[in-house]
Amino acid sequence: MAADILQAVAARARALFGLSLAAFLLSSCEGLGGISPIFPTPVSPNGEGIYNLYVGISIPAIIIFIGVEVALLWVVLRYRRSKQPAGYVPPQIHGHTGLEIAWTIAPLIVVLVIAGYSFVELQKDFQPISNQEMLVVVSGHQFGWNYDYGNGIVVHQEGTLAGDVTPFVVPVDTLVKLQFQGTDVIHSWWVPAISGKTDAVPGYDNFSWLKINQVGSWRGECAELCGVGHGTMQIIVQAMSKSDYQQWEQKQLTASKASPSPSPSPSPSPSGSPAKASPSASPG
Amino acid sequence: MAATTALPRPKAYDDTFFRPISIWLTTTDHKLIGIMYMVTGILSFVLAGIFALVIRLQLSQPNLSVVDAETYNQLISAHGVTMIFFFVTIFLTGIANYMVPIMIGARDMAFPRVNLLGFWLVPVSILLYYSGFLTGGALNAGWTGYAPLTEKAYQSHSLGVDFWALSLIVWAVSGIMASTNFLTTIVALRAPGMKLTRLPLFVWAQISTSILLLVVGAPLAAAMILVEFDRQLGTQFFTTQGRPVLYQHLFWFFGHPEVYIMILPGFGMISEIVPVFARKPIFGYMTMVAALFGIVFLSMTVWAHHMFTVGMNTYVEGFFMFMTMLIAVPTGIKFFNWIATTWWGSVEFTVPMKFAWGFLATFLIGGITGVYLASVPVDTQLHQSYYVVAHLHYVLFGGSVFTIFAGLYYWFPKITGHMLSRRLGEWNFWTLFVGFNGTFLIMHTLGLEGMPRRIATYANASWATTNMIITVSSFLIAFSVLLFLINVVRSWNGGEIAGDDPWHGNTLEWATTSPPPPYNFERVPPIHSFMPLRDMRESGEVTTELEPEAEPAKV
Repeated sequence: MAADILQAVAARARALFGLSLAAFLLSSCEGLGGISPIFPTPVSPNGEGIYNLYVGISIPAIIIFIGVEVALLWVVLRYRRSKQPAGYVPPQIHGHTGLEIAWTIAPLIVVLVIAGYSFVELQKDFQPISNQEMLVVVSGHQFGWNYDYGNGIVVHQEGTLAGDVTPFVVPVDTLVKLQFQGTDVIHSWWVPAISGKTDAVPGYDNFSWLKINQVGSWRGECAELCGVGHGTMQIIVQAMSKSDYQQWEQKQLTASKASPSPSPSPSPSPSGSPAKASPSASPG
Repeated sequence: MAATTALPRPKAYDDTFFRPISIWLTTTDHKLIGIMYMVTGILSFVLAGIFALVIRLQLSQPNLSVVDAETYNQLISAHGVTMIFFFVTIFLTGIANYMVPIMIGARDMAFPRVNLLGFWLVPVSILLYYSGFLTGGALNAGWTGYAPLTEKAYQSHSLGVDFWALSLIVWAVSGIMASTNFLTTIVALRAPGMKLTRLPLFVWAQISTSILLLVVGAPLAAAMILVEFDRQLGTQFFTTQGRPVLYQHLFWFFGHPEVYIMILPGFGMISEIVPVFARKPIFGYMTMVAALFGIVFLSMTVWAHHMFTVGMNTYVEGFFMFMTMLIAVPTGIKFFNWIATTWWGSVEFTVPMKFAWGFLATFLIGGITGVYLASVPVDTQLHQSYYVVAHLHYVLFGGSVFTIFAGLYYWFPKITGHMLSRRLGEWNFWTLFVGFNGTFLIMHTLGLEGMPRRIATYANASWATTNMIITVSSFLIAFSVLLFLINVVRSWNGGEIAGDDPWHGNTLEWATTSPPPPYNFERVPPIHSFMPLRDMRESGEVTTELEPEAEPAKV
């Protein structure tokens, strides 16, 4: 009997896992928002690592989920009093050492495998790097981000909900090291298509990196409650081809030489004007 | 020899809710104090639920301004603080206060007056927290109150944070009193024959919960005292110039075990309910106890998994990841044992059993998403997103709230002498089950797509439909809770008479009257196993009403 159930469970697990794979594939096309079972398609290798790890964990997770839910349904449907013969007295079993050991060891093995896989990914993509081609200091403040390229260019990404914020521009296929600083409270920089979050904490620097593999723009938001403007701290990362990036860089540099304060914006944003009025006054 | 039914019962304890206020204010009876704890908890649940509805209205469409961002931040903070500190923990303390002494055959708690003081600190704590609203705004930094956002530099306009900190200090003192009292009671006041290996699993769960609160209550108070030093005395512990992450360590050293403080008593209740309605003894009593203590130990070694994005050494992160994932092992043991208890049973799918099953079906999801969140790289994506909101509600709503409802439907007859209406109970369960999953299941995917938690509004129009579905479902939860409240009020005095033992229970509370007299037992029944009542029923010592309830306790 138990073997039959196991087979049934396994069959269902295979069927449903197939479904979820289909859902993964579907997620790549933009449709009704908010129901994708996985992250946006990653555009940076560290995001890809996380994406693959997520899929990897999902395999045992979906099997266990379906197995246990089916078992839960099975016991209450099959062993209901109305299904049992009249006067049925259940066997008074107090336990079974072998079984109890088995369902201690089996989950232990599963979590050891998941932990091992996760730790490998952690060592691969979450160490501070030193072979970067470019370093940008990202500092968070209430309520916006500053991106200091170190060559005189500073992009001020002031928070707004009314329209698009000023994009943070990077060249494609370039390993960019991000150094995070907090200037007032804790903020957290998160663009789901690129990688996970990194907190900008006052008092010490935090690190992450990106290497975007295609031209385009990606959105993100501040992920740590930082005050009334928390929801406005939107992020746009724009990846340009290397030649476009050089042109953009030149434009920024001449603009910053022309005016005493560094030019805030590569492409004027519709609503950023109040924030741009005094870019040099923003804390650094 | 009918140990419990033959003697005439003095109706000294009247089973209505309406007693002179002087009795409520001065009683040291663990049962009345337990009821007051539970009522306080339910009122907090309703209040925090109303906050949740306002939050959901605000988020139902993009760019709404039902409330402004400052009010929104105060609402989410008050929702979290009220649910966690004033509802779940308080309610569970109440049900344990009521049941633990009876289940071990004691007459009252070990320190009745400490019990009295501990309870009355709770309204003090609640009033302190809500006083914040009168001083220009309550806490607005989320229930976790991360520094430096709570510091004076960013909160100069109000005393909300101060009142929150004071409230939690009082709350922690109250919790430490209750825990000490539970542990002493269980160690010292067990009836003859009630060996540790014969304790009901709910009592074991209460031992583990009390140990946890005893250990982590003080660090919480310490964190709050340091926050107050920073704000009022000008120290720099957690300020922008200080070490904000230290606050997170202190807070989560309390905060993660608190999750288990809110779920272990629920595990205990499920371990009582499942065997009764499957008519089988619990499968693997000793592994159930061992699993509880495994969770107690592990839960104190995992706190930094809330902090994987602050930039720790990857080996430290690896340690916390590993310990966190290990919690799946004892939790898994409990799940498998509950299923095995039911296997080959004779299952009566009553309302308490339905809630128990609702708990198992939904808590499983919370457990599995917990493994995703434990994995550091994946957590950096999911952290502080709606995925976490979904996960924590699967654990705290699907976990704690469903077990609380299971326990209430199970023990309400004992506490009041009246059954809760089964028909309303079924409606309560199914609307809650559908409403709960409708609300929180798609929050996972919303988080995966990048919606951060705690944002007062959002501009992304593609999230609108999903958020609307969530809001509509949340009102179904509210409807379900309304049904529950109607059921409680109607059944308290008018419900079907329960009799001593309506479910044919296994544990001692079913050996006394419903509700029990102030002294609990006229004679404590003999205890030969962890199921004393079943033993008596089998040996013919008790011939309690095995048929549908015929008559109430004779007066």
